[in-house]
Formats: sequence, C-alpha cells, structure tokens
Amino acid sequence: MSESISVTPERALAPKRAPDQPPGRRRRTPHVNVHRRREARAAYVFLAPWFIGLFVITVGPILASLYLSFTNYSLLEEAKWVGTDNYTKMFFEDDRFITSLKVTTVYVVVSVPLQLAFALGLALALDRGLRGLSFYRSVYYLPSLLGGSVAIAILWRKIFGTDGLVNGLLAVFGIQGPGWVSDPDTALGTLILLHVWTFGAPMVIFLAGLRQIPQSYYEAAAVDGATKLRQFRSITLPLLTPIIFFNLVLEVIKSFQSFTQSFIVSGGSGGPVDSTLFYTLYLYLKGFKSYEMGYAAAMAWVLLLIIAGLTGVNFLASKYWVFYGDSK
Amino acid sequence: MNLSSRKTMWKVAALSVAVLTAVTACGSGDSGEGGGGEGGKTTITFAYWGSDARQKLTEQVIAKFEEKNPTIDVEGDFSNWDSYYEKLATKVAANDAPDVLSIEIRGLSEYAGRGALADLAGKVPTADLDQQVLASGQVDGKQYAIPTGVNAFSMVANTAALEKAKKELPKDTDWTWDQWMALAQEISGAGGVTGAEYNFNPAFLQIYAAQRGEKFYDGNKIGVSPDTLKSWWAIHQKLIETKGSPDAAKSAEIGATGPEQSLLGTNAGAMGMWWSNQLNALTKSSGSEMTLLRMPKLEGATTGGMFLQPAMFYAASAKSEHSAEGAKLIDFLVNDPDAAAILLSDRGLPTNTKVLDAVKTKLPETDQKTLAFIDEVRSELSPIQVPPKGALEMEDILKRNSEEVMFGRATPDAAAQKFLTEANAAIAG
Repeated sequence: MSESISVTPERALAPKRAPDQPPGRRRRTPHVNVHRRREARAAYVFLAPWFIGLFVITVGPILASLYLSFTNYSLLEEAKWVGTDNYTKMFFEDDRFITSLKVTTVYVVVSVPLQLAFALGLALALDRGLRGLSFYRSVYYLPSLLGGSVAIAILWRKIFGTDGLVNGLLAVFGIQGPGWVSDPDTALGTLILLHVWTFGAPMVIFLAGLRQIPQSYYEAAAVDGATKLRQFRSITLPLLTPIIFFNLVLEVIKSFQSFTQSFIVSGGSGGPVDSTLFYTLYLYLKGFKSYEMGYAAAMAWVLLLIIAGLTGVNFLASKYWVFYGDSK
Repeated sequence: MNLSSRKTMWKVAALSVAVLTAVTACGSGDSGEGGGGEGGKTTITFAYWGSDARQKLTEQVIAKFEEKNPTIDVEGDFSNWDSYYEKLATKVAANDAPDVLSIEIRGLSEYAGRGALADLAGKVPTADLDQQVLASGQVDGKQYAIPTGVNAFSMVANTAALEKAKKELPKDTDWTWDQWMALAQEISGAGGVTGAEYNFNPAFLQIYAAQRGEKFYDGNKIGVSPDTLKSWWAIHQKLIETKGSPDAAKSAEIGATGPEQSLLGTNAGAMGMWWSNQLNALTKSSGSEMTLLRMPKLEGATTGGMFLQPAMFYAASAKSEHSAEGAKLIDFLVNDPDAAAILLSDRGLPTNTKVLDAVKTKLPETDQKTLAFIDEVRSELSPIQVPPKGALEMEDILKRNSEEVMFGRATPDAAAQKFLTEANAAIAG
C-alpha cells in the first residue's frame, strides 16, 4: 500500500514525520491505525452493495454451475455427483456436441473477418470528410443495435424464406432461389450474413482509430509520391493494428456466444439438420429441453475455456502483428 | 466538522445497504409461495400455455371457480407454448412450482417420474370420466394427471380445394397410402394448390408403425424397426418427387410453423395431418371448410393404427401446500358443466360424459364435426400409451434424422440407425 492513499485535512494537520523514520513504522502508531481502519471500513461499506451484487448474482451462480457441471442435475430432481462423466461424454460420445462446435467455429472463422473487413472498408469510406458524417455513422450503427434482436431474426427468416424478398428479387432475373434458411446448405450462410450486417460497432471504433492517425503522415507520403494504396498499406494499416486487434478479440468472444439468431431463425431447433446448431443453442437445448442441466453447465465451462484459450492465443499472436506506435 | 462529515458518510453507506437489502427482500418476498393470502383466502397458482383466446377463456373459468369458492383465490400463470416447459422446470427447480399445472402426455413421465407431481387418486372425483382415457394419466399405477379432453391425429382435407381439382372426397374407410399419394400428385398437377403437406410428427410414425404391427414405444425401447422407418421416409420422398408435396426446404419451412401458417391454413394446400382439435384453427385461419378423415392404411393392414390422445392434463405439484384447494380446482375444471360451458373444446373434447351431454348443443359447428368424427372412429382406435421419460425430445430427434434423409445428407439406412440410437438413449436417460 502506498502512503499517498488519501489526503484528508486530518492528515495534513498531523505532525510531519521525521524524514529518517521508515514508512512502516508510521502505520503502526495507534492514531493512524484507527484512522486507517475507519477509512477502510467506510470503503467496504460503500463497496458492500457492489460486493453483494457480485457474490449473489455473479460469483455465486458461477461457482454453483461449476459444481453442477460435475452432477447429473435435471432441474426437477436433486443433483447427484457424477464426477467428470459430463465432460467425457461431451468429447467422446456426443456427436451433436461436436457438430455444434464445428458449426460455431465455421460461423466465427467466416463471419468475424468478413465483418471486420466490411467495417473497415466503410470506416475508410466515411473518413473521407463526408458531409453529414454523424448521420451516416448513426445509420450504419443501427444494425449493430438491432442485429441481435428477436425482431430482426424473424425478419431475416421472412426475407430469406422460400417465398421471401430475396427469392422474389432473384425471380425477376429468372433464377429460382433455394429456401435460404430452410436448406442445410445455405442456412448457416444467412446467419453469417446477419452477423456481417451488424458491422456498426467495429466500424465506429475503426472511425475513431482513423481519426487518430496524423494527417501529416499522409502528406509526407504524398510528397514522396506514394499511391493511395501504398499509403493505406504502409500508414493506415500498421497504425490501425491495435484497433483491429481490439475489434478482433471483442468480436470473436461475442460471436462464440451468439444465440438469438440461430434460436429464432431455426425455430429453436438448430435445424435444418443441425446446420445452425450454435454451441449456446445446444447448451440451452440440453439444459431446458433434455433436462440435463448438469451437462449444460459442463458445456458452459468448456465454452469459457475455449473462449479464454482463443483470447490467450489472440494476445500471444498479437505480438507479431500489432504495432503500437510507441514501442521500439 | 471532520467527524460530522464522516458520520454522514457512514449514514449514507448504511442507508444504501439498507435500501439494497430491502429491494432484494421485496424481490424474493414477491414471488413467495402463494400461500396465506389476505382475509382468510387461500391463493393457489394455475399454470397453463396457449393462445390469447385460451387465456381469455381460462380467465373466465377461473372467475367462475372463485365465484363458487369464495375462499380460494386462483392466480393464472399464463405463458406461450414455446417457453412453457422452460418456465415450469425453472419454477420446479426453485421450489416455486405452481399448485395446479397443465402438462401434455409427453411431459407426463418426465415430471411424474422425477417426483414433481402429486398422486391425485381419491382427491379428484373421476367416476364420470372416460376410464380408458383417464388411464392415460397414470404412471407406475398412480394417477398423476387428469386428462382435459381428447384428440386424434387424423387427415384433414380442404373440401373446396378438392372440388376445384375435380377430385372426389376419398372414402376414408379403406384408402391406402398409395391412393393418398396419387391423389396428392393429381391435385398438385391440376395447378392451383399443392396436394398435401407432409410432416415428421411422431404420431404419424406411430400410426404407420401400428399398421405394420409395431409399437412406437415398446416398454422402455423404441419398437419401430429400421424397415418401417425406411418405408415411412419413402412416402415423404415419393411425395417430394411427384410434387404431391413441396420440396424438402419448403416443407421444412412450413413444418416449423403452426396450423395458421400451414398450407391448409393459408389455403395453399388440399390435405395435411393434424390433431383433431386443430381443425378449429385451420378452419378459422383459412376460412375454408375442412373435413376430418381417417388416416390412410397400408394395404392388408389389420389395424388403422389411429389412437385417441388426451389434448393435455391437469396435474398438481407434489410440493403444493394447498393440495386440497388445487384438487378442487381440477375437479371443477373437468367435472363441472359450468366450466365446460366456458372452455368447450379448447382443451380437447371433454371426456366427462355428463359434462359433454350438457354442453353438446353449445359446441360450435367445427367442434360438432370433430365430436361426430371421433364418435365414428372411436371403436377403431388403439388404447392410449403413455410415452416414457424423454419423449419430449422425440419430435426433435425424429425431425432431425428425417430431414437428413430428405436433404440427402444421410442414407435412409444410416439415418434409421441413428434415429434408433438417439431415441433409445433419450428414453433410457
């Protein structure tokens, strides 16, 4: 603990300690001791509401779910300890678990880079000193607010239905479109598209990042005869890597936890033929439809480990490609 | 001065803690056990699912019950079908189960087998109920649930659509699957509407398997053979091939919706299979006249395989502190003509013969038709089977594996094996 923790009038009035006195001694003097303890107590009382929230609403349930993941809890009966059965079953016996992992991985691997590229592209376009920038920014940000909502998922199902808007447009050109959301070959694609469409949040962050790059760099590059493309590759992109990294980490975590889109678009089943069976959807189905809450809890912990692992890998890899202007 | 400011600080801190605890206390107190009640009244909760129309009817019937039992206060706990079991399971887990609840046959074993339901034998008078139907509410010899009314899974045809395609209404006493598929193809071929919509409802498979002499649930195992599954899927495939039905994707799309969005419900199809109490919804949403028909048969089958199934049940929580009042409510709902006069066929046709006689004339036209149909086929129907624990998942498992076949993702052989493995695992677990 540092000594400069608080400057109360009391302290200011207190006799100055001799410079040769070690700081530790001072803490042990009775007067200051009482004073500090009081202060600490006050701090804890003020923190209490937050602590109660943390332990009752967050930490408690988290620990409970860790315990439940080693039981056969069914919601309806008392939980019985089954050791690591849930975990072994998951990886060695449950084909649908593996399917859900595959589906989610494909979803994340395809949609996150696409979404970021799209967001960056638009941010670059908007950064050209467009008039009414804040208006466009808001408009493009809208899907991010709506994308995870139930209403949009329902709308998506309609637009990409057999007789939906998309097929109506295709019909104009004489193309008979498939049932985008009901055909297992294309269903996941429509969900990826839905995710890419919610590019607003990363776009706003990219825009802020672009504003941070000093204009003088570009001017200097232009004087040297660098093309726009060259400027982008040598100035914009390197200086933007911290922002790209930030967005990447955020979006990977977020998209691993996607639930609503697949729940609504597939009617809660992850169908057709499990082609949209997201990890979280399967977790939900296990917990609330099959009454295997213990298994669902185990899945939640595996998901946590997966996300933590991926984030760790992301951070490690960032050393090789993220450029912080001040380093080196 | 210093001291006083510290005091204030403490006061503020203490106050905020007090407020927080008070808020938490309110939160938990509010959702209390539903006991006590004010003015010597006992409050019980009654959970049910359904449409807005059902909610209105149920509110009326609750008001009627409270009028007759002034000391009991019933709180209706309504939710839509999709979230009903999630909500119920969570409430049971939280020891906050509703005193009286609705449940359908597939959930019965799940909840009774896990000790969530109370034995109602001797608590609710059942002498006037159809005893065979009543037996469907028993699990391990205990009367865990009282059926609300009955249903049969049958073929529904839009008479106007058949006429338009210049087809006669088939004679359903001895028609075969081949004839039905040919009819569907011809109707589609005539232009206008699609001949039939198929489905992967376990009830359809159960009827088909019975025609081949197999039980869907044989004890705690699936009694359907891989051959039966394959020839059942062949029906679906042939319908797709001959355009008697929409293609697999379109069918998957309609299959995910209810009667209102179905081909029949939107006047886009001529035939489909539905529970008999859905005739109302189909007629209303399409505005066309619909007829109930027997399911087609396999050539040479000795039984039609159709069966009577309770639309749903009333049950009581095993942990209810007001079981006497709960039993009274269930008694009122199934045995009192006043209740039936309000609910009519909303929860299936009443099985209490006395009640049915009292409300028969009040039933709307569609319900009269359903009643006449069920009376006509009643003697041919197989006894009701209570599906084992895990049956709630059967619909999903069957649909998933069937779609794998329809979309060409799996061979019928492989899918049949996979279905049996998954289905057996679900009911064994």
